[in-house]
Amino acid sequence: MALLEETKKFLCVSCPVGCSLSVTVRGTDVLNVEGNTCPRGVTYAENEVANPVRTFTSTVRVNGASLPVCPVRSKEPLPLVKVFSVTREVAKVKVDAPLSIGQVLIENVCGTGTDIIASRSLGKI
Amino acid sequence: MSAALTQREVDVAVIGGGPAGVAAAFAARKEGAAKVVVFERDWEAGGILQQCIHPGFGLHTFGEELTGPEYMDRYLKLARESGVEFDLNTMVFQMDPPTLEGSGKQASFWTMNPQRGIERVKAKSVVLAMGCRERPAGALGIAGSRPAGVYTAGTAQRFVNMEGFMPGKKVVIMGTGDIGLIMARRMMLEGAEVVAVFEIMPWVSGLRRNIAQCLDDFGIPYYLEYNVCELHGKDRLEGVSVVQIDKNRKPVDGTLRFVGCDTLLLAVGLIPENELSKMAGLKLDSSTNGPVVNEFLQTSEECIFAAGNVVVVYDLVDFVSQQGERAGRSAALYAMRKLEKGPRDFQVETSPEIRVISPQKLSGGEDVTLFLRVAQPVEGRCRLYADPGIYSQNLRYARPGEMNEVKVSAEKLRALPSDVNSIKIGLEVL
Amino acid sequence: MIPVFRGDIPLQAQVKECGDYDIIIIGCGITGATIARELSRYKARTAVLERASDIPFGASRANSSMIHGGFDDEPGTAKAKFCPKGNRMYHSLSEELDFKLREFGSFVCAKGGQDERHLEMLYDQGKANGALGIEIVSGDKFREKEPNTASDITAALWCSSGAIVNNFEAALAFIENARQNGVDLFMETEVTGLLFDETRSAMRGVSTNRGNFNAPVVINASGVYADVISRMAGDDGFIIHPTRGEYFIFDRSVGDLVTSFLFSCPSEYGKGVTVTHTADDNLLIGPTSVQQTDRENRNTTPMGLDEAFDGARRLVPGIPRNMVITTFSGVRANTNTGDFYIKALDSPRGFINVAGIKSPGFTSAPAIAEHIGELIKDSLGDVVKLENDPAFVPTRKHIPRFIDLPMKERDRLASGDSRWGQIVCRCESVTEAQVVEAIRRGARTVAGVKLWVRPGTGRCQGGFCAPRVVEILARELGTSPLEITRHGGDSHMLTGRTKDPLLPGEPL
Repeated sequence: MALLEETKKFLCVSCPVGCSLSVTVRGTDVLNVEGNTCPRGVTYAENEVANPVRTFTSTVRVNGASLPVCPVRSKEPLPLVKVFSVTREVAKVKVDAPLSIGQVLIENVCGTGTDIIASRSLGKI
Repeated sequence: MSAALTQREVDVAVIGGGPAGVAAAFAARKEGAAKVVVFERDWEAGGILQQCIHPGFGLHTFGEELTGPEYMDRYLKLARESGVEFDLNTMVFQMDPPTLEGSGKQASFWTMNPQRGIERVKAKSVVLAMGCRERPAGALGIAGSRPAGVYTAGTAQRFVNMEGFMPGKKVVIMGTGDIGLIMARRMMLEGAEVVAVFEIMPWVSGLRRNIAQCLDDFGIPYYLEYNVCELHGKDRLEGVSVVQIDKNRKPVDGTLRFVGCDTLLLAVGLIPENELSKMAGLKLDSSTNGPVVNEFLQTSEECIFAAGNVVVVYDLVDFVSQQGERAGRSAALYAMRKLEKGPRDFQVETSPEIRVISPQKLSGGEDVTLFLRVAQPVEGRCRLYADPGIYSQNLRYARPGEMNEVKVSAEKLRALPSDVNSIKIGLEVL
Repeated sequence: MIPVFRGDIPLQAQVKECGDYDIIIIGCGITGATIARELSRYKARTAVLERASDIPFGASRANSSMIHGGFDDEPGTAKAKFCPKGNRMYHSLSEELDFKLREFGSFVCAKGGQDERHLEMLYDQGKANGALGIEIVSGDKFREKEPNTASDITAALWCSSGAIVNNFEAALAFIENARQNGVDLFMETEVTGLLFDETRSAMRGVSTNRGNFNAPVVINASGVYADVISRMAGDDGFIIHPTRGEYFIFDRSVGDLVTSFLFSCPSEYGKGVTVTHTADDNLLIGPTSVQQTDRENRNTTPMGLDEAFDGARRLVPGIPRNMVITTFSGVRANTNTGDFYIKALDSPRGFINVAGIKSPGFTSAPAIAEHIGELIKDSLGDVVKLENDPAFVPTRKHIPRFIDLPMKERDRLASGDSRWGQIVCRCESVTEAQVVEAIRRGARTVAGVKLWVRPGTGRCQGGFCAPRVVEILARELGTSPLEITRHGGDSHMLTGRTKDPLLPGEPL
């Protein structure tokens, strides 16, 4: 059976402008994008339709530092659908100070192909 | 015990070690000021960005999307490498009106530090970079009881991101300021339930991407023109009453309803922290709530400069850093007695469509970017202009949540007829 | 040495004997606290039972913080007797007990002939009551001192003995001095019944949520619950009409709009909203006056706040609403009798009502306390002997108020102890040392710390300092931040740790 054309609305978040995109799709094929002010809008729409991704940020518990938690991020954006699995995985981790910014704390988190890294340095106390 | 209060002298003193202050200090050193000291009341520099662990910072400055701590890490490295000194755990609690010193003025203020006690600092120039604070619940006069569980979004952010505590389990958010939207997502990702966001205005006050990424992604509903009008609960918050409001902000009959929650987070506005500015006798702008500045970010006292959210609440940290650098450079030049103001004295005036603007004074001494916010959204073609005839740009929209820029060259300003002494910034709908 | 804080007796399911005393005082508002301090002059063993987690809690916390001159009360009433005397006592007590009292004086503002006749009536009353420093001045003379007031104020009654008190500090000062002199204070202790001898003709004590406290003399200073307790003793001579009043507090930067305490004359606009420069330099306006049946309802309402604001603007037109830092309401223990209800019962002997201590109750409290001491001596001397305690120390010091200290003194403190150099509350310049000391002296909650040393009373309303205060409370009390409450009970500030709700076995 042929897939129907439909129109989806997105707020492009590639930059702070936040263009309202009107995207015509058939299945995961993007047929047309309107409302974008730059080419990133098209790329964004295609990704949002096929596999929306987000940079994931949270904290992990840390031993022996001046703070009880250290902020972390995914090195690369990861699939939006994986966000809740990743947040549970990150919750399980407890790391020891010192930590340095960019240090990999979880490799290939939940099979997403990206790592969870420390987003700040934390000294040992 | 110190017998007499210690006196210190510095060239450029920067008050506040957040993004504006660190950028200012870095730029002041780069410009050639010898002794540049950042006075920071917290145990580390970085300011509020240390708790802003979400991404979205630095696209303009570093060309990539960083989290708050990462953004600050880069700037702090630049500042430290350039020879900026940091005085941490040091609170500036009093500022004196500047005094005449040789050919210019000199600033003086008082600091307190747990190890060194109270010190008096004399500075050839100062950059104020104290940032802003959140409008608290008390100021809104919300009716009802006074239970635990009512926090500003920033306080909740501090608890969650820095201290590892949950301020609540079931959250209602009042206001669509960016920190509120960010905290909606953050609370969801820590396993809390976020019931809804209510905004009193007919538009969202935060950035649109935060609606998409923080609310839409998680299916959190938001309601415009809704007021949270009453708190319920004796000990811990048990719920809030919300009501739809009309154009005159009057409740619409039949729309009052109870929303159960144990936490109310407020994102209802930021207020520049200008207590020191007042002590120093600076002229403040009643619409920005910050000091009146010129294109050098120089205040009404020539040795005091100001940058970042203490001047006007910016939407992007990149602008805060840019302005910080400008203020730092100006302060360094002033400290070295090299700051040359322009020949003119323009007052910046605005049409009613513009709510805030900074700088408010221009001398034609340097090319300038004016930052402004419109009073209400224009979702359609409009023209932003600076009269008489020095700037005009068509826009596809203008929204209060996002700042607009007006770039004007010093050359153009200087070339204006000598009887022109004000610049009018306006917005017209096309 | 301050006695150990007695809030730690666990709640009991069964009756437990909590202690034997000569005198039990129910309630630690200003009335109970001043009586406790007065009785601490004597060797008698006295205990104060307070149901709240912080002092002061009821009307003593939420009021206009005015020390009245004594012209507003009808001669011959108990109010007229105690108020001017209390006023005079406060001026010396504030030094003895080190609480903030500022002698700003007060004005009653008149708008036109009818109001001016009211001033004359007040003047005559004041003279009859022995109020000090009263005089009627012209509108112009009034505006010389208060230039920001309404131009249609035609005359004013000046009272130089009117003063503004920090009501939190005052209540804390009285009870702390009482405790220094041997009085026991039991917090979160709610009286549930009275204990009598077999014939119900004499008091034997009280029962509480913690157990029984035995004493032959029981003083009822329980504020809005006074009629409930009184009825337990069989005296139904008065009824409490809880009366709620709503207030605004404004930022310090507009505190100077007025320099004294301004009353309005009663009119169709209300019974009298006041505007004052507080002891800590804020601007305070209010109260409204709404009688209600609920003794606990301390809600603010949009209507009430508007009424307070409009009333205040009739005195000071330029009050800016955008400088509000918070709003609150208090419930006053008004009675159907209109006057204080101070009475020792013949039967059961040993029960003393000190009830209906509404405005000018805060002012009158020390004078009433003195009276209660005499009353016990005169009529209950056979039951409890009030013998002077030679060890009585009449003075105490408040925790140093960092913000008010000279620069040299601040430096001395900060250089000697790093906690004095660490600002916790930016708005009010409160140091860590002050918070630690408040906890050592009995503060157990975020609100309690605020009542002691003011963190969170400023323009950010605790936005920056609340996390610090929670942390310090937990550290000093040896507990987890999760146990710290805003104001006792279930008012926990935090609901858990991050990550825990996400871990396996935890419901999402």
